[in-house]
Amino acid sequence: MNPLLQFSARTPVLVQGASGRMGRRHTQLMRDYGTNIAAGTSLREAGGDIDGIPLFADCAAATRATGATASICMVPPLETRAAVEEAVAAGISLIVTIAEGVPVHDALHLRRLTQAAGVTWIGASTPGIALPGQAKLGFLPNVALAPGPVALLTKSGTLSYEVGYRLVQLGLGQSLWLGVGGDAVKGTRFAELLPLMAQHGPTEAVVLIGEVGGTEEEEFAAALAAKPLGKPVLCLLAGREAKEGVAMGHAGALTYGGAGTLESKTTALQAAGAEVFATTAALVARCAGLFGKRA
Amino acid sequence: MLLVEADGKALLRQYGIPVPAGEVVRDAAWSAPSAARVVKAQVTVGGRGKAGGVALCRNAAETQAALARILGSRIKGHAVHACLVEAPATGRECYLSILLDAGAGALRVTFFAEGGVEVESHALDATTSRLCAPDEASINAALAALTDDAAVRDVGAKLAKLFLAEELMLAEINPLFVGGAHAVAGAESHAVAGAESHAVAGDAKLVLDGNALHRQPGQEALLRANATLYPDALRKLDEGFDYVELDARGSIGLITTGAGLSMMLVDELTARGAHPINFLDIRTGQLRGSPARLIRVLEWLSEHPSLRVLFVNIFAGITDQREFAKLLAEALAAQPCGGVPVVARLVGNGSEEARAWLAAARPDIAIFEDLEPSIARVAEHAI
Repeated sequence: MNPLLQFSARTPVLVQGASGRMGRRHTQLMRDYGTNIAAGTSLREAGGDIDGIPLFADCAAATRATGATASICMVPPLETRAAVEEAVAAGISLIVTIAEGVPVHDALHLRRLTQAAGVTWIGASTPGIALPGQAKLGFLPNVALAPGPVALLTKSGTLSYEVGYRLVQLGLGQSLWLGVGGDAVKGTRFAELLPLMAQHGPTEAVVLIGEVGGTEEEEFAAALAAKPLGKPVLCLLAGREAKEGVAMGHAGALTYGGAGTLESKTTALQAAGAEVFATTAALVARCAGLFGKRA
Repeated sequence: MLLVEADGKALLRQYGIPVPAGEVVRDAAWSAPSAARVVKAQVTVGGRGKAGGVALCRNAAETQAALARILGSRIKGHAVHACLVEAPATGRECYLSILLDAGAGALRVTFFAEGGVEVESHALDATTSRLCAPDEASINAALAALTDDAAVRDVGAKLAKLFLAEELMLAEINPLFVGGAHAVAGAESHAVAGAESHAVAGDAKLVLDGNALHRQPGQEALLRANATLYPDALRKLDEGFDYVELDARGSIGLITTGAGLSMMLVDELTARGAHPINFLDIRTGQLRGSPARLIRVLEWLSEHPSLRVLFVNIFAGITDQREFAKLLAEALAAQPCGGVPVVARLVGNGSEEARAWLAAARPDIAIFEDLEPSIARVAEHAI
């Protein structure tokens, strides 16, 4: 079974890099939200604890002692490859890596490694995932999180915060929030989440937040066309005015020639039966309308 | 990021791949040789030929006319600071590339026996393109399945080494001249015999991984040597955040965080006919109590006489907006950008207090909680 479907407030979670500046703060924030933080890893502080959460020298020791099955990896970008390798070797089945700036050849290696091992990897360059009202892995802001019927699949952190926040203001929460991240090569791509969306009972509609660059939106459209979801799919795409040849903040938001343009994505998604919006306000209004809320 | 052709060819040479003899020219008064030359604009964008950035010149007069026309012009919005002037290569034109195929999670090796600018129209099938694992042996095996030509395989093997060692996202040679007579850069004899075993890279499209620059010191040196060509990449390397100039004559200065939301703002403002000067992902989480980064951005924006309004949009998941509001006020005091109006939309962690504090400290700033009215206000100032 997909570890994303199993993820809940009961899932025992390991924080890799728990004693760093970011790690320490978010370990506490995630636990306050309801996440079952079972352990952390820290080279410097192994044997110690953060607010009672035991710290171990490595993933193997942490999983042996606590039975952790999911990891939120908060190490810097150039250390992400080694950290994921370690988590996979320790038997972790769901890994979320938040670091922005992981070299693409490292990501390619990790994608092949996690796929071969049957491990679900989310990231890199993501604010994380959440089962709103229960648990989160990463730093999705609580102000934008609420339980509800809409699954949010997103490359961008901040744009998804904006959309989630505005929907929550209208009384519409999320069934699942999955930040796939802004990198070109990543652990989980939009299209790979489609079977999950079909199986996921609480999800009544899907909001996909994409952007210029890469072919993920086109792949998602092809998968959707081949196997319709039977649930509305609303898309917001950013980067119409992006500068060609320059990564717009996200390593994956990069266009050359005609590939990865918004036109190509919009055409493919619309042909597959999804609705595509050019402004946040239009997407929010349509989503609210689907559920009888007033925007 | 895409390297300009001359820098791409410098890397090819470093790995033993022959390139035509040529030189980089920045001055239209350059004294051109009498022989035929190819003049090519050095910009970090593809499709130069179709955009008028490439000229085949038969003599000195034509070469000089081409330089005068291309230098200082703009190719797809990129200013041309330099041209590569080369001896024309000859031979059969082929296409060779190694691509990091993000969708497939593999490398893709592609070879066409016919090259040229229309290569996009060729179909990719098992006879022209193969996926493979990211290692030298797999790349060489993939290319061996596509061509018997020893010269092409030799270039392919060198390109494989380059691609892996330099952590590239794309290495494309189009055209790859096979079996012609060339003046080759760095060769003792300028006339290389047109043996079948010879191949020369007529063009080089190499895309670097900006995230690997920190462990690729040679690449960093390459970028710095031509700093005017790579302003966005070097700025990111030096400053640690993304600022991309979109329209030097725009009227809106953006102070924003988050790539997706910032791109969306640029789109929505542009759709209303309001033009941002910049894209910005300032990363508020990295400010660490200092207004220095904000002041840097304000300084860059203040250099644009067309600036009419500053638009601050911060959705703070984690960052404390109270702290950010204070840094913003400090930064604006240090660099007021000529006193242009400021529109600030602050939402998220601690934003209610932050808005109240900012309203008291800077009553001239238009402060919003919601995005739509703030966009409308900015558009009023900008248009």
